[in-house]
Amino acid sequence: MNHRGGWALIQQTWLSWMQHRSFFFLLAFGWMVPPLIYLFVWSTAARGGTIGGMTRGAFVTYYLVLIVVNQLTYAQTNWTVGDLIRDGRLNQLLLYPMSPLYNTLATEIAGKVVYMIFVIPITAVLALGLRPELHLSVTQVIAFIPALGLAWLLRFFWGYWLALLAFWITRADSLLSLQDALIFLLAGQVAPVALLPGVLKTAAIALPFRYMIGFPVEVLTGQAAGIDLAAGFAFQIGWTAAAIILYLALWRRGVRHFTAIGG
Amino acid sequence: MLQPLRLIRIFIETSVKNETAYNANFWVSLLNSLLNFGTGILGVIVLFGQIETVGGWSFASTLTVLGVYLTVGAVRDLFISPSLDSLTGMDGEVWIGTFDFTLLRPVDTQFLASVRRWRLFALFDLLLGLGVLIVAVLRLGTALTAAHLITFLAALAMGTITLYAILLAFSGLVFWSPGFLFSWVFNGIFQMARYPVRLYPGALRLLLTWVVPVGVITTIPAQALTGELSPAALIGSLGFSIALFTGASILFRGGLRRYASASS
Repeated sequence: MNHRGGWALIQQTWLSWMQHRSFFFLLAFGWMVPPLIYLFVWSTAARGGTIGGMTRGAFVTYYLVLIVVNQLTYAQTNWTVGDLIRDGRLNQLLLYPMSPLYNTLATEIAGKVVYMIFVIPITAVLALGLRPELHLSVTQVIAFIPALGLAWLLRFFWGYWLALLAFWITRADSLLSLQDALIFLLAGQVAPVALLPGVLKTAAIALPFRYMIGFPVEVLTGQAAGIDLAAGFAFQIGWTAAAIILYLALWRRGVRHFTAIGG
Repeated sequence: MLQPLRLIRIFIETSVKNETAYNANFWVSLLNSLLNFGTGILGVIVLFGQIETVGGWSFASTLTVLGVYLTVGAVRDLFISPSLDSLTGMDGEVWIGTFDFTLLRPVDTQFLASVRRWRLFALFDLLLGLGVLIVAVLRLGTALTAAHLITFLAALAMGTITLYAILLAFSGLVFWSPGFLFSWVFNGIFQMARYPVRLYPGALRLLLTWVVPVGVITTIPAQALTGELSPAALIGSLGFSIALFTGASILFRGGLRRYASASS
């Protein structure tokens, strides 16, 4: 494993992305809008009362944290990996003296830095204007850090194994659209998971999507506590392990199966 | 006078021939349409599972707004976006210089740039949108009078013209800044049209009504259908859409004069 080469690649990608920042700011803006819509809709709905125990200020906090968490865990490389396989550019990467995973990680890290430069100031301005309510305890903050880390790992590897299906299926990217829709519904974007109606709520708790975004948000805002917190972590760790195992298995088989076309 | 219609027919035919060459895309488009439709509906259902009304909007009337959003969005995907999008972006005609060939055609450039590419799959989205509207009207429980229907159709037409004008203006800006994806900015804002403008806080509501008039596009037609639209608002939005259309055309034509091709 050539880790120094990997690090150099990460730095290079980050610097080159910073030159195109206005493009990436646009992308970040687009991803920010859906949670922002539900921030406004729910906080208007909860004006002068509570919904499912949440006040207007609690909804504002929930969605502002969600905007940041969503951006931090969003793995846009999931889309590009499939493209690399489809159009054969994976060839070059396979010839590098290091794993193509570094290439993906480099894009991932460059993206996080560029997007945060856009998202954090905007979230801060929104927080000043919308008066969120947040009661932080030390345990919430401490639990939030591993929850966020695991959420990123899970979302990254879950999307990565789906993208690797491009080795066998030409339009595997439509599975990523399906995943985005499920994330919208079940990961706490359309509503906090606790407010979802019966079947959707059960599905949200059992399936991996909540643990990619909603769960870390609930941990920080204190909505997931006690037994919920422990069960949440158990689900999150289980799904992350499953995603990594699927990634490894598909990658090994896929690379052997891979034939580039063109020349 | 019949020439524009004949051209549109030819553009549709070529687009269909182009599109049918990509078989698998049909299923991908079908999936994406159903996802867009499903997430939209479930979003409204989840919200109204918790509350009865928001800012004076009930489940049925909010569903009307969603129906208008899907319908207008389908018209946009039918030809407005496919046609205009080929101007913008890093591989767009203005950036790489192939816009030369568009300019050389013996028809009005704005007309050509607005109708040359069609995506007939959007007719399926149109059906879904109209389906949502029908269900919403049935759930409203009020009798739909002919007057309401006519006002609705008029408001819907104005909304579509407004949408076209905004997209044309955003595409026209490409002549000032060739690489910038102005239409992406609008895509983000347009998503807010899924819900009535009343659901957004003060400053944002003003922005959505007057600066980027997403409200004119979906909320006003929906109000026409529920019978809550005042004649003043209808006339106001008529004037508004005409003004926008004129403004956008002037901007686009001004942009055309700035175009200086590209060379390698």
